[in-house]
Amino acid sequence: MEEKFISQVKLQELCNELIDNNFDIFIPKEYGYQKLVKGENVTLDNSLKPTKSSFKDIIFPKAEPIIYYKKNKSDIEIIDPQINKKTNIILGAKPCDAKSVAIMSKVFNWDYKDEFFNIRAENTLIFGILCNFNDEFCFCTSVGLSPKSTEGSDLFLVPLNDGYGVRIISPKGEDFYQKYNSYFTTVDNKLIEEIESNVKEPDIVFDSEKVRNWIKENFEDSYWNTLGEYCLGCGQCAFVCPVCHCFDIVDEDYCYTEGRRMKNWDACQFEIFTLHASGHNPRDDQSKRYRQRISHKFKYYPEKFNEILCTGCGRCSRGCPVSIDIKKIVTEIGSFSEV
Amino acid sequence: MENIYKPYLMEVKEIIPETPDTTTFRLKFKDESVAKMFTFKAGQFAEYSVFGEGECTFCIASSPTRTEFIECSFKKYGKVTSALARLNVGDTIGFRGPYGNWFPVDEMKGMNVVFIAGGIGLAPVRCVIDNVLDLREQFKDITIIYGARSVADLVYKNKLKEWQDRNDVKTIVTVDPGGETPDWHGESGFVPTIVEKYAPSNNNAVAIVCGPPIMIKYTVPVLSKLGFKDDDIITTLENRMKCGLGKCGRCNIGNVYVCKDGPVFTYSQLKTLPQEF
Repeated sequence: MEEKFISQVKLQELCNELIDNNFDIFIPKEYGYQKLVKGENVTLDNSLKPTKSSFKDIIFPKAEPIIYYKKNKSDIEIIDPQINKKTNIILGAKPCDAKSVAIMSKVFNWDYKDEFFNIRAENTLIFGILCNFNDEFCFCTSVGLSPKSTEGSDLFLVPLNDGYGVRIISPKGEDFYQKYNSYFTTVDNKLIEEIESNVKEPDIVFDSEKVRNWIKENFEDSYWNTLGEYCLGCGQCAFVCPVCHCFDIVDEDYCYTEGRRMKNWDACQFEIFTLHASGHNPRDDQSKRYRQRISHKFKYYPEKFNEILCTGCGRCSRGCPVSIDIKKIVTEIGSFSEV
Repeated sequence: MENIYKPYLMEVKEIIPETPDTTTFRLKFKDESVAKMFTFKAGQFAEYSVFGEGECTFCIASSPTRTEFIECSFKKYGKVTSALARLNVGDTIGFRGPYGNWFPVDEMKGMNVVFIAGGIGLAPVRCVIDNVLDLREQFKDITIIYGARSVADLVYKNKLKEWQDRNDVKTIVTVDPGGETPDWHGESGFVPTIVEKYAPSNNNAVAIVCGPPIMIKYTVPVLSKLGFKDDDIITTLENRMKCGLGKCGRCNIGNVYVCKDGPVFTYSQLKTLPQEF
């Protein structure tokens, strides 16, 4: 059996042509997925730490206008925003990032359809990459993924000597391959499989079913208070998370007569997130807010959308200013029901 | 592209001051074709906006049987409601909706209906009262128990008078002890006490309860004592919302989105949810 192969040199050429063809290419750097400049070296090192933030903001921007308005005395004119229809290519997304779009797509489409999200998702092509990184915060295998999982990728790269084995995953990936097949050659599938089988996977540390059951039975448990005492409520965990999707809607006036309505990222760890006008707050304590975070990811979302709202990337723990480790927490929760 | 966040435009046709800080707007769609196709059901809510200030969530307070306009009532509290309170007749606001579920008005036909409301909580209940009164012959006995902190805080005073003047509706209005004026002829006492005093029958009856959490908390046990089943006690929740579309993630109670699966819940449904509302 043979698989597709692209050499490092050809990948570089392909990227240059794609940029010429008006594609935006994003590759992982230390802080996030950054736009590739023409001629820049394309280096995809799959043994590096996940970027500090995911590529979520390419599909679900931190702040995006949902309407523009013009005010003329008591009259109002509403103008729809135009979404940039340029195709984005995410080159070298780890499996824990590649899956994120498919997970968020459920909430953005379960009833009303959020076309802002859909158009961007449709115009994004994801090249996943075999992950060869594993630290104490990684737990993708516990949420149903793995370093070689191709879920969510359109094409999947496996680093070989001087290039990458390429698996075509989705019809979108196939279309892309057909268009640019002159850049690709073939390679023996055995070489790819050998690399894949040598990847060290993180150990499975919890059973998501058990976690779900414990949360269900222990809504008022004192364990939540312990977590609430640590958490500062800064919200960084939600902002670096590849699948956290809560947002706020805010108006911004440019001047007296014009402005725009924005959809901005928000986070359930903020005190005013659920504050009522009357002053009543259903989640008036950090422990309740932390309980919401864990429960939403491991109980509510799976119950509603059949998908765990976590990809096990560990970003929230790596970045937490008070070292709250979600892997440790969920592992503990999973072990409670065994005792 | 279909933009689910794009509001309709509505014109403020009439401003009715209710209490020192509560106002009712009578609104009309600016676009005739929208006005023709727009329908909603009693209990649904919408996102109202002042451009440049933001959006705010209230129920539609008028009855779906009266189609020529929409009414909403709001208390001046934050940025958007303060901006709404500054508007004049003829100004334009944004409106997205209707969202959420509704009161089971069709299932209530042929039953006795007890309405219990406190403060601004009369707004969502009023929508059902008007709906039921417009179809009066399809329902049996109707009882309305409404209370506010003081006489000045009673909303819909004209409506209250209209209901009190009808002989096919039993209307009881009360104010909290200490909130009476010298010429006050209504009841004096907290809503749960007054419900206990008038003891509406549970026979073939459904109770619709809305008001501040503390009022609901003490009224439900009274109703249970009177023999109302949990399924026959219906309330509407008001969680903070932004999108109203089941996306923005703040109104949830457990795996239930109040904006999609609510805001109308029976007491037995509420019992199955995590106690976080």
